[in-house]
Amino acid sequence: MSWTRDDRGTALVLTLVLAPLLLVALAGVLQLGALRVAGARIRAAADLATLVAVNDQDDAELARSGALRLAADAADVAREYFARELDLSAPLLDGTADDIAAAADVAAYPTAPAYDPRTGARYDRPTVRIAADVPVRSPIFGALLLRPVTVLHVIAVSSPR
Amino acid sequence: MKRRSAAATLALLVLMSSPAFAWVPFREDVEPPVPAREPDPAPFVAPPPGIYYVTDTYVADVVTSSGPLTTYSTTTVHESTGSYARVLDTVGTGASSAFDGSAFNGRRTLGDGRSVAGTYYENYALTDGGFVPISVVFFQDDAELARLLAVATRPPAVTASPPPTPSQAARSAAPACCSASRPVSMPASTPPPARPIRPGVSLLPVSAPLSSVEVLRGRTVTLWPRAFVDDREVPVLTWALVAGDAGEARAVSGPGGAAFRTSWPRLAPPGAAYDLVFRIEIDLPDTGRRTADARISVIVRSPALEN
Repeated sequence: MSWTRDDRGTALVLTLVLAPLLLVALAGVLQLGALRVAGARIRAAADLATLVAVNDQDDAELARSGALRLAADAADVAREYFARELDLSAPLLDGTADDIAAAADVAAYPTAPAYDPRTGARYDRPTVRIAADVPVRSPIFGALLLRPVTVLHVIAVSSPR
Repeated sequence: MKRRSAAATLALLVLMSSPAFAWVPFREDVEPPVPAREPDPAPFVAPPPGIYYVTDTYVADVVTSSGPLTTYSTTTVHESTGSYARVLDTVGTGASSAFDGSAFNGRRTLGDGRSVAGTYYENYALTDGGFVPISVVFFQDDAELARLLAVATRPPAVTASPPPTPSQAARSAAPACCSASRPVSMPASTPPPARPIRPGVSLLPVSAPLSSVEVLRGRTVTLWPRAFVDDREVPVLTWALVAGDAGEARAVSGPGGAAFRTSWPRLAPPGAAYDLVFRIEIDLPDTGRRTADARISVIVRSPALEN
């Protein structure tokens, strides 16, 4: 019964068994990292869009009352810039930037105080808010029999302070 | 034997035992039903007295002149901002109020230096902690006959009849031009003071003067020093910034036809503002060369992300 104490070849068997598991774990980690990068870029796009929209002020109202007030097209400006910024990450997206921006919930609150019915937040300054569901490609998850598209929820709020 | 006796005694006691006839004196009393108490959907917050929901929002003070009549009114816009308000004080022409100086839009003066009539309102925002005061605004509602000042100061003509006193002249002239729908401030019988200069600063050459203005950080803003005498604009000869942070201004003085252009790259400390004082010089044939200081408070804001 000497073969029971012979451990030659066990390293090969162990490698063959564990290598796929390690590869799956490694692929999952890579995909999660890629999703985090995509999420950061999408959040930056939403943040920048709201900042640009807040920078768009109603000059006539400012001259009349001296108070900052959002321009009438602030929501359109936010949506447009959100699409422009998303377009820079187009390879990551499962859809066109214009479609994603068009489907985003963009709200402008030109006067304050105002209450956001979506978040329940109170805004003490004129505020622009973007809430969007952005579909991002996750092909490694798809290869692992998971969802090939992951939806990232982003929300960005900006106001002059 | 003792054991048997004890066991027999114990058994006898057990067999002959009966429940004690104790009774609860209030057992028959029926407990009154307790009404089910619904939890309050929201804690009751006692509102300040006289508060109401705002449906017309302050826009600007308006001074209009129609012939001899100058009217001081306030424009509003039919808009609900979710805020509340209540009346603080209603003041007449020239009367002082404890809230003078507290309104963000100030309180104007008539041509003779008296304060205009109107109403002070305090605005509130409803929060979880109750009604929080936000600001005080003054709604002006007054009028004056500007030309009566000149009538009152004119020397009386030599006639056979005794000349009317200025107050009589004013009183007799009032019904001729104005209905009684609005109280008209009449000039006093004492000699009126020198015509005051009312300086102001506006964002456009023809827009309303402002006491404070919000600007975005780094954005170029144009301020026009202006002057009014008897609520009529008079040309500014020169102006100079004599106090306050000029920001990145190209020039801190100039002729009346030029504006003060600057931008502020830095925010003021929290809760503070840049208070600017412009010394305005005017030169009119009837007033001569005079100066006045116009003040404006500049609040620099910057677009920022909210959490």
